[in-house]
Amino acid sequence: MTSGALRKGPLKPVGDLLNYSRKYSLWMFQWGLACCAIEMGAALAGPRYDVMRLGVIPFPASPRQADLIVISGTVTDKMAPAIKRLYEQMPDPKYVISMGSCANCGGPYWDSYSVTKGVDQIIPVDVYVPGCPPRPEAFIQGVVMLQERIQSEDPASRWNGGHWEPIVVGAAAGEVDA
Amino acid sequence: MSDDGAPDAAEGATSMSDSNVALLERISTALGSDAIVESVESLGDLVVRVRADRWRDAAQACRTELGFDYLSFVGGIDWQPAPSADEGSGDTSAPVQPKEQTYGVAGSAGRFQVFARVASTHVPRVGLTLKVDLDEESPAVASWTSVYPGADWHERETWEMYGFDFHGHPSLRHLYLPSGFEGHPLRKDFPLLAREVKPWPGLVDVEGMPGDASDETEAPDSAGGGDA
Repeated sequence: MTSGALRKGPLKPVGDLLNYSRKYSLWMFQWGLACCAIEMGAALAGPRYDVMRLGVIPFPASPRQADLIVISGTVTDKMAPAIKRLYEQMPDPKYVISMGSCANCGGPYWDSYSVTKGVDQIIPVDVYVPGCPPRPEAFIQGVVMLQERIQSEDPASRWNGGHWEPIVVGAAAGEVDA
Repeated sequence: MSDDGAPDAAEGATSMSDSNVALLERISTALGSDAIVESVESLGDLVVRVRADRWRDAAQACRTELGFDYLSFVGGIDWQPAPSADEGSGDTSAPVQPKEQTYGVAGSAGRFQVFARVASTHVPRVGLTLKVDLDEESPAVASWTSVYPGADWHERETWEMYGFDFHGHPSLRHLYLPSGFEGHPLRKDFPLLAREVKPWPGLVDVEGMPGDASDETEAPDSAGGGDA
């Protein structure tokens, strides 16, 4: 699926090493918008879950230092331009985790006049974590699944406009509509 | 629950606590009893409906004469009933909501009202709720921002949610909604487009269990049989 040189031939070990280092140093930009942010905070800061043991550093000073953005909570039409603008400031390769029903599809606010029906309407989402809110374990599984993808991907394809099927945490294989 | 404002209610202080009678007396003196359309005690609290052209004067009287230095909120009311459950955009709360137009404790001349609550930071548990009727065609009332500066954002929100105009407000701009938003979403006739496409799922009182005769989907034993 790729034209990337790093996954081919003699340079493959270099690509693997690069992926290995990227996967364990994900600088994460927190975008906590609602109650899901509490569960995200539990996964980030609580000693019980402690996402930093997976190499996720949740404290970049700016989106320009971040590799990963986590949208956790209800995206409103008023907030949507700000999300898009800060997402665009992140350097490639960048990844998006959509956490919770609201960020996935609007959730309980599906008929609201002010809620965006899913953050994937404005930015491409790599991992959907379902739940209302998801438990911290579900969020951490989303991080791990994203790390598995990063390990196996061609680093160049992120710049070449490649296409990725989204990951849905907890979905059986073949259950996700492309 | 009077239908339409009986203007004699300023004197009708029946079943009011002594403190509320005294409070009503004070605001009647400060404002003039002709400005008060109706006054009711509700849940121990005095609710006074004032004439629309005296709305700003009422605020001034509350602040200077009555010593209510704290504005709790300014908000709007649309008394029109919500869309009923048999309409596509209706919701489950409709059966417990009135089908006919009702007007709350102090009554109303029409569909739209603005109401506000003021209180004192010096005397505990003393406050006053004020209401004013608005014209249905072009709802507008005087702004309170020159009396209570804190009314600014409350009136901006009421303006964008209900479309009420506040004369004398320094800048009626969108506060919560995106700047290009059309319509006034807290009006009861605001269409929820998502519900036009897909009816509110809560309209079904009790959803059929999978496998029931009423269930439209295929029965599970015919779909995935043979796993027993």
